[in-house]
Amino acid sequence: MIGTRKKCIAMLLAGGQGSRLTVLTEKTAKPAVPFGGKYKIIDFPLSNCVNSGLDTVGIMTQYQPLELNEYIGNGSPWGLNRNYGGVHVLPPYAKSKNTEWYKGTANAIYQNMHFVDRYDPEYVLVLSGDHIYKMDYSKMITYHKAHDAECTIAVLEVPLSEASRFGIMETNEDDSIYAFEEKPAIPKSTKASMGIYLFNWSVLREYLIADEKDPSSQNDFGKNIMPALLRDGRRMFAYRFDGYWKDVGTIESLWEANMDLLDPNVPIYIKDPSFRIYARNYAQPPSLISETAQIEHSYISEGCMIHGTVYNSIISRGCYIAAGARVENSVLMPDVTLHVGSEVHYSIIGEGSTIGYNATVGRPITVGMQRIISVLGKDTTVADGETIITENS
Amino acid sequence: MMNIAGIIFSNIYDNAMGELTKHRTVASVPFGGRYRLIDFVLSNMSNSNISSVGIITKYNYRSLMDHLGNCSEWDLDRKNGGVVILPPFSTGPTTVYRGNLEALGNAIPFLESQNCDYVVLCDTTVVCSIDFEEVVEAHKASGADVTVIANREKRDYVCNANDLVISVSDHTVTDLVIGQREDPSAWIGMGMFVMERKYLLRVVRSYVARGRYLFERDYLQKCFVENTIKINVFSFDKTVLRNQNIVSYFQNNFRLFDRNVRKELFFSGAPVYTKVRDEAPAYLAPGSKMNQCVLADGCVISGNAENSVIFRDVIIEAGATVRNCILMQGTRVCRGASIDYVITDKNVVISENRVLTGAASAPLIINKNMHV
Repeated sequence: MIGTRKKCIAMLLAGGQGSRLTVLTEKTAKPAVPFGGKYKIIDFPLSNCVNSGLDTVGIMTQYQPLELNEYIGNGSPWGLNRNYGGVHVLPPYAKSKNTEWYKGTANAIYQNMHFVDRYDPEYVLVLSGDHIYKMDYSKMITYHKAHDAECTIAVLEVPLSEASRFGIMETNEDDSIYAFEEKPAIPKSTKASMGIYLFNWSVLREYLIADEKDPSSQNDFGKNIMPALLRDGRRMFAYRFDGYWKDVGTIESLWEANMDLLDPNVPIYIKDPSFRIYARNYAQPPSLISETAQIEHSYISEGCMIHGTVYNSIISRGCYIAAGARVENSVLMPDVTLHVGSEVHYSIIGEGSTIGYNATVGRPITVGMQRIISVLGKDTTVADGETIITENS
Repeated sequence: MMNIAGIIFSNIYDNAMGELTKHRTVASVPFGGRYRLIDFVLSNMSNSNISSVGIITKYNYRSLMDHLGNCSEWDLDRKNGGVVILPPFSTGPTTVYRGNLEALGNAIPFLESQNCDYVVLCDTTVVCSIDFEEVVEAHKASGADVTVIANREKRDYVCNANDLVISVSDHTVTDLVIGQREDPSAWIGMGMFVMERKYLLRVVRSYVARGRYLFERDYLQKCFVENTIKINVFSFDKTVLRNQNIVSYFQNNFRLFDRNVRKELFFSGAPVYTKVRDEAPAYLAPGSKMNQCVLADGCVISGNAENSVIFRDVIIEAGATVRNCILMQGTRVCRGASIDYVITDKNVVISENRVLTGAASAPLIINKNMHV
């Protein structure tokens, strides 16, 4: 029965600058970075919410918000245009006593406490706007209830060698968490936090208020809230997720995640009709593949005109690839133009860029060579005949 | 901003499209890889700041309603105005209407409720990208009673029985013929008209009451002969694709390979909207080969496709060959099958190693949901 309360609402952290995505986030918030030919990164957590039956989502944003605001609009592409609930973009705002930016992940939710209170939810799901995965959160909520948990953290098994890049959970046999370490030098477990937290709102609320009162706190979930909950012996559980999940915080990982879509052995099925990824649509005509085009093992979005050669690549909407141009192992973001004779290898080409005649971006890998992913920011023009290879650490 | 309402006739001339309109209106016939015919007209209206549109339907309009939904894709889910479906209305035993003029009789309450000065009337068979605001401006300036939107067709154009053929000399209509072109420089009507709303209401009331039912014959031509009307011709010089019958429909789909046609229809600055289906991008597998195709989202292509228009969610398996075909949404062409000059309606399955061949002058049509 519909009432004035929501059982669970989602709070999506989309405020980070995403500086490790370098030129791609110069003018764009990380969640608004194009992905997979016709999506933006934020489409994944938003679609997950909808596919899990959550109809109220707050998106906390403070960096380059214009593009993201326009993209979200009234939420109708995701079915989040609801009379009660729906999607809300939540920038920091002036209050009677103080005005401040979001200081940390926990502070962002603290500042929007009144937003959450309006729905009086039993649970709050905290999500990040920079992960690519498909997940039914309702299963996690069921798990949370079954374990009578106060906080449940989704975890993924990672190889021990990579564990020091993540927040690592140490768990008992019943999957209750007894220790947590953010990016440990010597990891004691391989259960990595996916940055997906489910809280009883009454508990989270209490800790957010306490955390805000502590001037030494960095107001961060991983650094402050989780340790505080653990210290107090709160019921915290690790919810194991065994699907595909990838943090796309770096150029390298963003490229890899795009390529994963093409790998039949990677379990991210963007074509699954029972769990669609929704995105705003831009009314482009179907693509035109000409008689000179050669395309293999690639995704092609609508609105493209392809005369050239495309191999193992993701081509977003509205791209033009001239005859004799070549794209290999690359991601073209929307509206990229490749002129005659140009080549793109192992690259991510930003929205609206133009690669001139006989120009080259990136380089192919030959034996013994290290893979370098080259990247061009939005609206870059590469002059005719020029060669660009960007180094990314 | 101008105040214009739109009226769309969804199925006045259904019969010409044969099997394709067996279960749907002409307006909802799929076209161009991801569209329905009505998308072009409705997008033109939306892009011309027409915010109130009545769609006249006769029968078999379930697929049309399914396609339109709440019309948000066309930005026509408006608080004031938006799209209204006008199905046949009767107070006693009656037959569905015989023509567009009679159908307009049903639209009288809609026309009365509008708060606008001008009305654009449109069929859905003609595909083009046109700015109706410009047409209404020209109509106003001409001082005419009716503006007929028309173009000059090529020499080899064969007239359709319903085509309005207008000869103009020195800005004055000198002849008005239906279904026959004697004068090669004559203008051929595109099934689109502009009139003042109040004048249209008077015409509809008066002519329907006298048992008249065809707009072109019983009103335009009759008034022209009696010299009681001033007709203005708006000459349209961009791409016009007339879908009069299966063969022209078949050829028009392939016109989309033409760069200029593509540019004028889709990239004039006014987008063509359609129902969004949230498909993933199309995937072209290793070993696939495409040669001059229009390709929509959601497809998985592992075989060969040449000279074809491929709608959303089509699967062409490895070793299958598709030539000169229109494959509508959800078609699956299985391994080793070979099809040439075939139109597959929605969700058709062409089984393994099946060979089907039609001809350019008579494409083979496989009906919706058939397994061949």
